[in-house]
Amino acid sequence: MSATTDGILDQPVARARGTPKPDRWGGNAFTFLGVFAFLVVVAQATLVVQARPQDLITGIHGMADIISRAVPPDISALPNLAWPALETVDIGLFGTVAGVLLALPLAILAARNTSPAAPLYAFSRALISFCRAVPDLVWALIFVTAVGLGPFPGALAISVHSIGMLGRLFAEVIEDMDVGPVEALTTTGASRLQVFSHAVVPSVLPSLLGIALYRLDENIRGSLVLGFVGAGGLGFELLTAMNLFQYRTVSMTLLVIFALVITAERLSAALRRRVA
Amino acid sequence: MNSMLVETNGLGMRYATQGGKLALDGASFSLAPGEFLVILGQNGCGKSTLLKCIAGLLRPTAGHIRVVGRDITALTGRALADARMALGMVFQQARLIGRRSVLSNVLCGTLGRHHGVASSLGFLPRDETGHALRCLDQVGLKAFARQRAGTLSGGQAQRVAIARALAQRPSALLADEPVASLDPEAAEEVMRLLRRLSRDEGLGVICVLHQPDLARRYADRIIGMRQGQMVFDTRPDTLQEAEIAALYEATPS
Repeated sequence: MSATTDGILDQPVARARGTPKPDRWGGNAFTFLGVFAFLVVVAQATLVVQARPQDLITGIHGMADIISRAVPPDISALPNLAWPALETVDIGLFGTVAGVLLALPLAILAARNTSPAAPLYAFSRALISFCRAVPDLVWALIFVTAVGLGPFPGALAISVHSIGMLGRLFAEVIEDMDVGPVEALTTTGASRLQVFSHAVVPSVLPSLLGIALYRLDENIRGSLVLGFVGAGGLGFELLTAMNLFQYRTVSMTLLVIFALVITAERLSAALRRRVA
Repeated sequence: MNSMLVETNGLGMRYATQGGKLALDGASFSLAPGEFLVILGQNGCGKSTLLKCIAGLLRPTAGHIRVVGRDITALTGRALADARMALGMVFQQARLIGRRSVLSNVLCGTLGRHHGVASSLGFLPRDETGHALRCLDQVGLKAFARQRAGTLSGGQAQRVAIARALAQRPSALLADEPVASLDPEAAEEVMRLLRRLSRDEGLGVICVLHQPDLARRYADRIIGMRQGQMVFDTRPDTLQEAEIAALYEATPS
């Protein structure tokens, strides 16, 4: 400790020196136990997934074979991919819009400060949680069984899953809302409807829009996978090409997916910056 | 019939949630046009409760409140909202909508006069723009009309909140600790503005304050409150320091 240190700085140091040793020891022992526990958890995970790096090495020929058969990507497949690509985007778009429209009223019921009655609150919370807990892939399987193959079951699956994801976040935004403007407008003699449209809506709208745009990005990526269970879009094309061993079509599809995902991500981020 | 803007008579308030304690006990006073009235007292003395009762945010459990001659004590819904329009309210925080422009925030103050479908759907009454700009001019912030409210300083925001209250065309302003979260300079500016509005526009002002010093310099009349009761109601020049000190003495328990 330098001689220039004044009393203010000295005090906490003195107190730290004064702390009894067992405490420091206790801290160290705790850290050691934590690291040990973490290693044990990782070890069991490695065992459970039956990780065998040697298989990866022996399988390298197979991988090289697939990759060599996948290049160059088949450009001629591109026109055939345009429609499925549009389907994929539209499944995500439809699912997001429908999800927002259904999640909004549910969120108002599921936010503690706007919910009209306790049973409605509990019911909407449960409904939102259920929509979220069931993965979109499972929803797609259910809807494919219900309405048949094609993009529609995919759009339904994305919608329902979106209700779960959006409903919870929307409710949180409503619960965290600044009540100041609401009270201020109430005292100006504004009606309840006016207070809602002029104080509640402007305070929550930017957050809601941001969340919805993020969801759109997630949903476009989500809808790619749904094709695997027969719910249309690029995922279905990918699966078909895989099954027919058309690896150059597979690589072309992957390129389109890559472009789509990046575009959706960038666009969503740019739009979110504008509404923030 | 008299010309008092606000009259309270034996106002009492008993909160059911606080073990039935009397938060307000027999408060009676009246406010004349152009009068600047300051209410002093420590936290929990009932001054905010009094203001909220007058503003119609709380329903008193005893007594009566007349606003511009009309008894508002028993009013509800639309009738209460209409009666409230005579009273402009200013809070400790400006409570503006940060993303909207200063002008839009002021226009919100006129909503009570417009009950059309458009205003319920979130459209502002644009035909009030001229009036809103005049209100902004009164608080000296006309140049900021197009700026986003979120970019204002604390003092500016509070003055815009006052302009919003003025847009309502009130007969009296109720201010609940309007300078408590402002720096001293901004506080003086807001107090000067409130006094000017009462002098020049004939507005009655009821202002709850924590600073006896500001009260002495700006008020026409000071009411002291302690444990829900009015302990004095006097002009600042006849008010003794000891009377003020007594307000802030520790409560015997």
